[in-house]
Formats: sequence, C-alpha cells, structure tokens
Amino acid sequence: MKHKKLISLLLALTMVLALAACSNTDEPAETPAETPAETTPVETPAETTPAEGVDLTILYEQDDSMLNTYSLLAVNPDAPFVDADGNAVSDVYINVEGAAALINWMLSQEALDLAANYGYEEYGEYLFYVLDDAPVSTAEIPAATEDTATIRMSTTTSVNDSGLLGYLLPFFEDEYGYTVEVTSAGTGAAIANATYGNADLLLVHSKSQEENFVAGGYSYVLDGLDAERLPFLYNYFVLCGPSDDPAGVKEAASVTDAFALIAEGEYPFVSRGDASGTHTKEISLWPAELGITTEADSVADYTGWYNYSNAGMGVCLTMAEELHAYILSDKATYLTFRANNGVME
Amino acid sequence: MRTALEQAVQLVLSGDYQLINIISVTLQMSIPSSVISLILGVPLGVLLAFCSFRGKGALVILNRTLMGLPPVVCGLLCYMLFSGVGPFRHFRLMYTIPLMIIAQVILITPIVIGNMESFAQRITPAVRETARGLGLGRGRTFLLLVSETRYQVFSTYLLGFARSIAEVGAVSMVGGAIAYKTNVMTTAIMNYTNRGDFTLGVALGVILLAMSLVLNLTVSLIQGRLSR
Repeated sequence: MKHKKLISLLLALTMVLALAACSNTDEPAETPAETPAETTPVETPAETTPAEGVDLTILYEQDDSMLNTYSLLAVNPDAPFVDADGNAVSDVYINVEGAAALINWMLSQEALDLAANYGYEEYGEYLFYVLDDAPVSTAEIPAATEDTATIRMSTTTSVNDSGLLGYLLPFFEDEYGYTVEVTSAGTGAAIANATYGNADLLLVHSKSQEENFVAGGYSYVLDGLDAERLPFLYNYFVLCGPSDDPAGVKEAASVTDAFALIAEGEYPFVSRGDASGTHTKEISLWPAELGITTEADSVADYTGWYNYSNAGMGVCLTMAEELHAYILSDKATYLTFRANNGVME
Repeated sequence: MRTALEQAVQLVLSGDYQLINIISVTLQMSIPSSVISLILGVPLGVLLAFCSFRGKGALVILNRTLMGLPPVVCGLLCYMLFSGVGPFRHFRLMYTIPLMIIAQVILITPIVIGNMESFAQRITPAVRETARGLGLGRGRTFLLLVSETRYQVFSTYLLGFARSIAEVGAVSMVGGAIAYKTNVMTTAIMNYTNRGDFTLGVALGVILLAMSLVLNLTVSLIQGRLSR
C-alpha cells in the first residue's frame, strides 16, 4: 500500500518533468496582416515569416480549383434506412422540425453575416465566405418544444476544429431554446453516420459524396427551399509545406502543376487518407497517371513519400510539420493549428 | 511563456465552465460504470473460483479472452446495436452517457471477474480447510471466502476505475464526444490534439492523473483503515 502511493507520486513527478522539458518551445504567434484578395489567385507573400514554432507554411492558395464549399443537408425521415444486415428499417427517429429550424436559421441573413465575419478578429483573415448564390431563408423559426429541442448535427472535423460552430450555435440556441449536439468526423464518416440514422442534419464539404447521399434518397427538400443540397459557405484549401519549399511549388502555374512537382520529386506528402472532403479534394489534384484514389492500395507504390495517414486534419498537420512534408489543408484548420503552436492568450 | 503544468493549474483555479463540465461528465460515466462492473464482477468472479463444474475451464478462458476485448470493438458493437437503424434504436441511447456506461461495463466486468477469480482461486483451499475445521456449510463457506477477498476488492475497483477513466476508443464511438454532453477527459484530449493544441491536451492529462491520484490515495486510506 505504501509503495502504491509512492508509484503514483513518482508517475506524477515524471509527467511534470517531461512537461517542463517539452514546453520550452512556445513562440509568439504571428498575426498575418494580409487580407485575402477576392478574385485574383495569390500566393503567400514573401514577407509572411512563419512563427518559429511552426515551419509549415501556406505555399499555394486561392486557385479556383482549391475552392472548398460547405453544404447543409436535412436528413430525410423516410429515407431507405437499412440495418447492418441490409434489412430495411422504417421507424428511424429523425428530429425533422429541429433540423428544419436549424437549417433555416443557418441560411438566415443574420447567421450568414455572423459566419462571414467569423475569425477575422482572431486570425486577421476571414475563414469562411458566403457563396454569392447561397440560398437565403426568411422562414419563421419556431421555438423549441420538448420533442424538437435536441438537434443532432453531423459535421466534419474542419468545421468543428475551426471553432465556427462553437461560435455560431449559441446565438441560435439562446434565441430559440434548442440544444445542438455536434459530432464531427471526416466527411465520409459524417455522412455514413447520417445514413445510420444518427443525425438530423449534415454540414459537410464533399460535393460528390453529398450528391450520392441525395441520390440515395437520404435527403429531402425543405419547405421554401429548392434543393436537397444547400451549398452556402466556402473557403479555400491551401497547399502547405516546409518554408524552404524544396519542390518549388510556390512558382507553379497552377495547383495541379504544384502537385505534379511534388510527385515528380517524390517529396514527402501527408494525405488524410480518411475519405474526408479534404482527402477527396486532394486526390483530384494529383496527375491522373499516378492513379491515386481514396483506397490505400492505390498508393502502395508510393509509400516512400506518400503518407496515407487515416487521421484528422490537425493530426495530419502535425505530422507534416514533423516530416517536413507537403499537405493539403482547409485554411481554417491550418490557421488554428498555427495559432495554437504559438503563445495562447 | 506558459507551461502545460501552469496551464493545468490555472485551468483548475479559474473554474473554467467547460473543464468542470468535462470532469463532471467523466465522473458521471466512470463511477457508475466501475461500480456496476464491480457489483456484477465480484460475485461472479468469486463464484467461479469457488464452484467446480464441467466447463469451468472453458468459462475462465472465455472470460480471459473478453478481458482483452479491444475497446473499439466493444464500441463498434454498441454503436451497431444502439444506432438509429440498430435493433435497440427505440431506447434512443446513442450519444448519451448511459450508453457509454453500458459499453464500459461490457469492457470492465470481465477484468473484475478475472481479477477476483485468480485471487479467490488462490485462497479457496485454505478457506475450505478452515471452514471444514469450523464445520461450516457450503453457503457459509462461500460467505467466508467473500469476506476474505474484501481487501482485493479495493484494488480490483481501482483497476476497473482506471480502465474506465483512461478508455477512449469505445466512449468516443458511442458518445460522439459532444461538447457539454458526452465529452470526457480522454476524448477532450484527443480533440485538443487534433487541433494541434498540445499544451491544453497535456494540461488535461495532468488533471486526469491528479484525479486518479486523489482516488488512489482515498482508497488506500480506506483500505488501510479496514485492514487494521
């Protein structure tokens, strides 16, 4: 019994020592002064010196093929749900009213304005932009009732990790009395979660996967809106890499050229490898002759430089930092990642 | 410059609402799951050691196999059973603390059984001897055996609680790590790590360890009182 105490104390002490040893690397966070240009593709300006704690730098961004569109989808209560054995399941509980209320609120002018301004104060850059043709809803939003108060939203790690929902949802919850339960995973898993009847609505960013979801009958058109899939926000994917840029992607004419340069020189690259929206985007940017798909087999020949990691965005960014590798990230998560490696206020 | 340790101390002192919620959810999950496992596992474990019957060896081996059940497999099983299209969907337990407790009970009970069984197995011959000397019946012999294992119950409980508080695979799968609802210490550490916020992750780790230390000290004290 005596030595049990001693062991616990020793463990705690070891942990403290380890912390003291490894927390000396904090560096001041850099605040990028640049405001994003609206139309012309720009590369990161040379004067943006990365924080010493983080070498990973944005090397290529705001190319039209790097658009990252976020959509809302209501889950259809009458969708052809099936259980694990493929048998039809009819009485799946979906909070239809709650999901409709939240979608109508997210598409209200108030919420769109909030989303558009999110992150500017903290990061000096806009993290999300509102699509010009985003559907705007003026529908009356009913207050929560006992049956509709809990809304289950399945979303992607990038939306959750960037803090957007943590910022937006309290406005909605406080005004109308709902509670939104957010679960986050890569887009593939987030959508699968909804097909298993565990979500009332989706907020995801992979057009092809969303269209499959709609085609499968899992979504439906809400009153007053004209489509199942409701694209409303966008930002850009960014190609990040070591600040010395050994592949020279900064000089590339297009992002596909940049990816070709990385593949040609076999420079280390970290892939999400989790069928997320980011992963789907990434595989569309590689030269077609490499034959890279979302399946792990397709990159078996490239293991020398291509890291198929099967992890969330933040983990992959950390991995890329460690490996001095290139990586495709959504901008919001990258900026959060960089800020968190500096001194947190 | 703030170290993780300073941040941990500061987090605790500031009474951060989110942190308090995470700790409270962790305890709301860990205490019931470890206690239920103990209540189920201790009698079963002692009984398994006490009785002898055909197929007992097979049961022991089965239990030892279940002791090694990977948490993610257990999580997946519960997910499939309780998800929106699963056979138990009407309970509406997906992403709730009760389902996290169920998953953990499935994980921890075999550990409690195995631990009690191997201890009770060792002392059973001596207890039987004593009981025979005192002329006790079968029922009272069993009670004697149970009372002889009481010291072991404490360390078994600690083992169960440690497993419960440290487990991440199953609870993240069936709990969904929903903020203010099912986000426990381990899933919160995962979240912070995913965001590249290692300092806060480590700070939570320090707090987790401190909680474990407090519990261990408390149980050690009770155990000490009892053995005197």
